[in-house]
Amino acid sequence: MRADLIRLYKTLHTWTGIIAGLALFIAFYAGALTVFKEPLARWVAPPVTTLSVPLADTPALIARTLAAQPTAARDFQITLNPDAANPQRLTWQDHPGHGEEHDSLGAHHYAATLAADGSARIETTQPSQLTELIDILHRVVGLPFDNDITRAVMGVICMLYSLALVSGVILVLPTLARDFFAMRISPNLKRMWMDTHNVVGLISLPFHIVMAITAVVFAYHDGIYALQNKLFHNGNLSATWAGAKAQHTPPRNPADLLPPTELLSRSHGIAPDFVPTSLQYVQVLGPRPTVRIWGHDDSSLSPRAMGGFVALDPYSGKVLSTDFLPGRQSAANTTLASFFALHFGTFGGSVVSAMYFLLALAGAWLFYSGNLLWIESRRKGGRKANQKGINKEGQQSPPTATQRRDVRALANATVGVCLGCVAGISLTIVAGRWLYGHVTDLNAWHWYVYYAVFLASIAWAFWRGTARAAVELLWFATAVTLAIPLTSLACMLGLLPGPWALTDASGVDFTAFGGALALAWMARATTQRVRHGEAGSIWSALPEEAKAGKKPGA
Amino acid sequence: MTEAPSSTSSSRAGPIRRDWLAKSLAGVFAGFTFAMGCSGLLLAALGSFPPPLRAQFAMWLVVPVWLGVLASCFATRSGLRAWLWLGGGNLAVYALLAILHRL
Repeated sequence: MRADLIRLYKTLHTWTGIIAGLALFIAFYAGALTVFKEPLARWVAPPVTTLSVPLADTPALIARTLAAQPTAARDFQITLNPDAANPQRLTWQDHPGHGEEHDSLGAHHYAATLAADGSARIETTQPSQLTELIDILHRVVGLPFDNDITRAVMGVICMLYSLALVSGVILVLPTLARDFFAMRISPNLKRMWMDTHNVVGLISLPFHIVMAITAVVFAYHDGIYALQNKLFHNGNLSATWAGAKAQHTPPRNPADLLPPTELLSRSHGIAPDFVPTSLQYVQVLGPRPTVRIWGHDDSSLSPRAMGGFVALDPYSGKVLSTDFLPGRQSAANTTLASFFALHFGTFGGSVVSAMYFLLALAGAWLFYSGNLLWIESRRKGGRKANQKGINKEGQQSPPTATQRRDVRALANATVGVCLGCVAGISLTIVAGRWLYGHVTDLNAWHWYVYYAVFLASIAWAFWRGTARAAVELLWFATAVTLAIPLTSLACMLGLLPGPWALTDASGVDFTAFGGALALAWMARATTQRVRHGEAGSIWSALPEEAKAGKKPGA
Repeated sequence: MTEAPSSTSSSRAGPIRRDWLAKSLAGVFAGFTFAMGCSGLLLAALGSFPPPLRAQFAMWLVVPVWLGVLASCFATRSGLRAWLWLGGGNLAVYALLAILHRL
């Protein structure tokens, strides 16, 4: 391959990585946590104290709820196994205002139970949106809203990410045979980081290709469909989705709905391995009533993040569609579903979940290390340029002082953004239990806590300088992450007043404990480097004057 | 793979011009129209599929083609060449679509 071509792709790799790297770190770190969305939701939700309506009474509950609140018929859900995160049997939401479907935070949540006299009692609920916060950070690279604009920003970031991937592969290709698995553990730390960056990138390349393509699709699919609708579907695309025209039907009576147990036995008859989790009733009073039985099948891939479903007619029990039923899809539908499953890791059960968690963390590390490599080479380039008056490209180098300021700024931003994101998420998880009952709008506080930590960490990094801030923020992240299992320990010992008294530890606590250990190890290693590393390094905590004093002699 | 300095390695074809702006714009815009055209061809090729499935496959095709073209754009010798290649590609794809539409 031509050397100048490789140099061009090297520049492309560098700059796309620098522009997109920090946003991608947040997307990947938060994305790793969304793999364990359900355990996290259970961790932060208060334990259930009231009994939910028995499944056998659900037909009466549905009929009386719809009589009292007909708008619920648009879309409501029956939870089959109520737990801490979803304690209510019958729930629905409405989206006031412009009805933006991605705006999950603005939704009003309702739940219905049966009162003692048999009537429906409807209440508004405030389910914890902690996992939604983490998911939004993941979906729109750390921005606080998921709307058309932030999704477009995310799309641009992901296009840069795809360019960084392709150019990164082109860069390592010429020396692939020699350098693959060549981990030069040597005093040359930069060489070692570079080798690790390359090997982690290459090993997880298939994962990253999948993520880059699916993420750009998720960002722009509405626009692409709209254009294709004009160009190729003659404006008939919505009719294509809707399928056959509905027949005229007499008014529906909710009392005629088949009981959930009957619907479940139908789905069991179609797919014995499919484990249903909830029933979603859509337009049950309209001309095309549907019930989607959602669930999981670990022996097959799930077409959506929350699993798959079989669609039945809730009155007759007739199967309307198995297009989204894991293991019962046509080849074409399975292919389409695999694009989603490959992004969400919803295939192969908990082994794949754990793998996706680790791959996403490795991805986050890839962006962090990429930035650090840029900083290190910039620093050296700057010093050489200082001696020779030219830099590697053979062009006139800019004054060393400004270059150093750029490098320092990026180094500070890298440390502040990455560690601020880690610490912010950990602390907002912990806040879910400590602030419960003490603030009126806990879901808003989740955002306040996250952004307070995130922005303060960035400010701290710029105030203290990279080297000192890295050590301090790493210890801070360690402390707030360790606070997750410690909070659970306090609950087990009955020290935390409130509903969690005497709850058990969960996988979240063990994972957080492991994460805290890893952060502590990084904090120790960074301390070493800050104290004993090269004086010219960005990682040196030597005072500025000392560095400046050395420069003329260097 | 030769490690020769750029002055000799590029003696035959001339050096690769960077042309960041021209190449990026070619990849983003002409690359997108090219990818859309390809999705139109896929729709024609999948004529026997149920319409909702065709529509989904056609949507999913756009992004991989678009990103692939965008990344390859930088390998062209100049921004002008990137635009020429993609202009030609667009012309070919949409001409084919027009012919298929007539048939």
